[in-house]
Amino acid sequence: MQAAYTTVSTRRGFDRSHQPVQIPLQPFQESKMIQPIEPVEPPKRVIREWPPAVRAYVQRSFSENHTVKGVARQDLEAKLKAIISEAAENDTLLTVDWDNMPLPQQMLLEERARSYQSSQLLTNQQFSDAHAAQHPDGLKSKKRKSTEADGLEDGNPPWRTNQIPLGDRITYTDKRIKFDRSNELRKKRFGEILPSTPTTLDEEMTLGPVVGTCEILEKKYLRLTAPPKAATVRPLHVLRRTLELLKEKWKTDKNYNYICDQFKSMRQDLTVQHIRNDFTVNVYEIHARIALETGDMGEYNQCQTQLYALYALKLGGHPIEFKAYRILYFIYTGSKTDMNDLIADLTIAEKNEPPIKHALETRSALALGNYNRFFKLYLVAPGMGAYLLDMSIQRERLSALANIARAYKPQVRLRFITEELGFESDQEAARFICDHQAGDFLTSKDDQVLLECGGKSAALFEKLRKDPPKLSTP
Amino acid sequence: MDLLVQNFLVAQSTGQGHLLSATLLPESPQDDPNRLRRLTSSSTVHDIESDLRSSLLSTRSGIHLNKAEGNAWIDVYVSYFRAATEVVALSERHGNSDHTSVYDAWKEMANTLIRGYSSGHFQAWTIPCLYVAGRYLRIFAIKADRHARSGKPVTYGSGMSGDITSSISKNEKLEDAARVINRIFQLCISDRASIENSRKWGLYYATNLLFKTYFKLNSISLSKNILRALSVSVDTPPESAFPRSQISTFHYYNGIIAFLDEDYPTAETHLTQSLNLCHKLATHNKELILTYLIPCHLLTTHTLPSATLLAPFPRLQKLFQPLAECIKRGDLSGFDSALAQGEEEFVKRRIYLTLERGRDIALRNLFRKVFLLGGFIDGGGGEDTEQAAKPRRTRIPIHEFETAIALSMDSHNHRLNKNGNNNNSKLSNGTTTKLSRAKIDRDEVECLLANMIYKFQNLMKGYIAQTAGMVVLSKGAAFPGTGV
Repeated sequence: MQAAYTTVSTRRGFDRSHQPVQIPLQPFQESKMIQPIEPVEPPKRVIREWPPAVRAYVQRSFSENHTVKGVARQDLEAKLKAIISEAAENDTLLTVDWDNMPLPQQMLLEERARSYQSSQLLTNQQFSDAHAAQHPDGLKSKKRKSTEADGLEDGNPPWRTNQIPLGDRITYTDKRIKFDRSNELRKKRFGEILPSTPTTLDEEMTLGPVVGTCEILEKKYLRLTAPPKAATVRPLHVLRRTLELLKEKWKTDKNYNYICDQFKSMRQDLTVQHIRNDFTVNVYEIHARIALETGDMGEYNQCQTQLYALYALKLGGHPIEFKAYRILYFIYTGSKTDMNDLIADLTIAEKNEPPIKHALETRSALALGNYNRFFKLYLVAPGMGAYLLDMSIQRERLSALANIARAYKPQVRLRFITEELGFESDQEAARFICDHQAGDFLTSKDDQVLLECGGKSAALFEKLRKDPPKLSTP
Repeated sequence: MDLLVQNFLVAQSTGQGHLLSATLLPESPQDDPNRLRRLTSSSTVHDIESDLRSSLLSTRSGIHLNKAEGNAWIDVYVSYFRAATEVVALSERHGNSDHTSVYDAWKEMANTLIRGYSSGHFQAWTIPCLYVAGRYLRIFAIKADRHARSGKPVTYGSGMSGDITSSISKNEKLEDAARVINRIFQLCISDRASIENSRKWGLYYATNLLFKTYFKLNSISLSKNILRALSVSVDTPPESAFPRSQISTFHYYNGIIAFLDEDYPTAETHLTQSLNLCHKLATHNKELILTYLIPCHLLTTHTLPSATLLAPFPRLQKLFQPLAECIKRGDLSGFDSALAQGEEEFVKRRIYLTLERGRDIALRNLFRKVFLLGGFIDGGGGEDTEQAAKPRRTRIPIHEFETAIALSMDSHNHRLNKNGNNNNSKLSNGTTTKLSRAKIDRDEVECLLANMIYKFQNLMKGYIAQTAGMVVLSKGAAFPGTGV
């Protein structure tokens, strides 16, 4: 007899479920800005000229370790001069803590970031209300309804929509050489107004955001291998129009490949311009919903990961709805570690929000093998939760059938299966059983269809549970 | 400085690894709180090299290091001196200074040390130096990250990736440290020298340090790579040849890795070993081990921790006692609220999802009570062979179980349930916990029963006869392992 423990673990049959969705550690990057190691000696003798601390400070400012891309040398010199002469004028040369004084390039970057932020703020405010009431209540909608409305209109086939001039799309040849030069130029052009994040180590990040100038709404997604050119990047106001266009196209064409590609390019444009506001959230949410509707779990997962980070910044959107989806997603992947982390992150208030509560109860029902409750919850999943649960449903039905076939004798009514396992009709239940080559166990007696249990039937369903066959999803 | 030199010389001439490693501590010993400060003020970063050279490598020193080895040690101590200077500076500036520079300086020291080993200058008996390097690297990294996190804005994704938020970690330095520690591990595992003079003796220390770091980084999958590397490494001395403390820790992490993989039998084996090797006075460690071993036991053997076991550990008592009592009583509503009560702590320790399944055991105990209350069949069982006992009633109407659940879920009626099990009780609750809120219907009861029969073959034996509305339990052992 098998030891008790082997059967303890929840759902086995689903191979993917045992792949933790953990993000692997980034390959650790060698730090490029190692702090100067030599601490400054206590000044032993007083020098007539600059104090040693000041000289060390100047040295550090020009040392290669601290070179920051985007800060031109003359700017740096000017700033340095200003700092030191200010100190000299105020007679604080000896009292200033030069060792801890931010370097001039850091100060410059911070100044720029500040001026950029204030300009960003304006743009954000301008737009923040436009999309506020996008999804009035996803919760009440029936399980099969996509939140993106459906209508029918004529739209261009995807192969005709790509209207970016060819010239713009072949800019990436001999990128490395060009990149360096154009980068220099760009720095000259934008050096004064672009922010950079001073604390980061990633070289690319100090490049600062692009400001796009492209006015064409649609753009094919291309994975970047070099910094993007402004001419191929769409600024925020264009992206807003793009989103409207794409929503329209999704309603009419339902061409997921096209839509997904377009959304990816939008996400890319947002990223390279460092646009992070309610619109960004909106783009990701819509893409996530469309991916859900089409069952593209990979893309959905990318979106939800981003969304989870965006919600932490409190930029609006629908955090409750998507956190609930996230729980259901981890039900699908079966990742216990992720689930644990997620539960740990939820606040008590969030746990009491109906969609999250529903998702948590679903999780708990499944963890305890309570298929009865699981399928009840499946039928009342709020929002687009049912799409996510659909991903697990075959697995859970087989698992429940294995359970029933073993626990009951001699048979159960098909009607009972239909009700227990959330089928819409007896026919659907029967088809599910037949699709899994278990039709032989269906018998009929006195006008009732019955499913034979025990023995062979139990063995077959147990086998199916452990290794669910791939069925084409309806 | 003199002390350092003196200890270095003694250690070198006697081959005492721990004495040597003590010269590389970046903090003062408790009985000499100013040692580090005295050291850093005894020389300067500019003079330290020549100072050391004259004292460590002179012919008067009485030890004979070859030139390359001597130089390598000088490099190590120069970088150590720099790091120590940073540490002292930080402690004296009262938090005004930078944890990152301490980390960076210490990392430099660790790397210098590693270089000394990888170019073959240092002998294996000196490996405690690597321990010190690795241990403090981890500590400094955690501090540096903690400081960096407060006040650092969220970073932007790099321009190349398609998505908006960056993958830059909040644990940048610790990840960096993990790489360095991994190099230490590689140094140990890849040493091919004969075992008496092999760095393989550092294997478990390095492994444990890596585990500890990976766990902190929440990247447990990386730990598995280490285990894989260990399992294929040849010529590693048997575990019994290593210090017990290292092996105990090693099994602890092994157990947790299996635990998180839901491989409870393996987890149990490792944790048990860990517990057995644990020093009897290491209460905290025992507590940690038991935190995971108890939930393991609950699922593998369906046993609960006894009061005696928990007695020396008040924290564990608080953690597990309420649940254990409810499981024992078959008290579902009590179980649910105990679980909810401890949720935060359970989740934090990653045992919530495991303990949750203890509900099955509570349910089993409840069903068992129903069975017991069913009593015996009078005159039914003809052959009273060995036992005088009459056979128990094994055909039990489902509604009896339904009633039992309803009573058990209603905390107010709970105490009365002894004789209430033949009435159809009404649920009068709206209590706090998840499952008790919703009314349990007949189908769900059947589902729970089916689970008992199916899920663990050891919980309940029998079958459900749906048309008859009966559960038919096995005559021999309806509830295996519980005496009936």
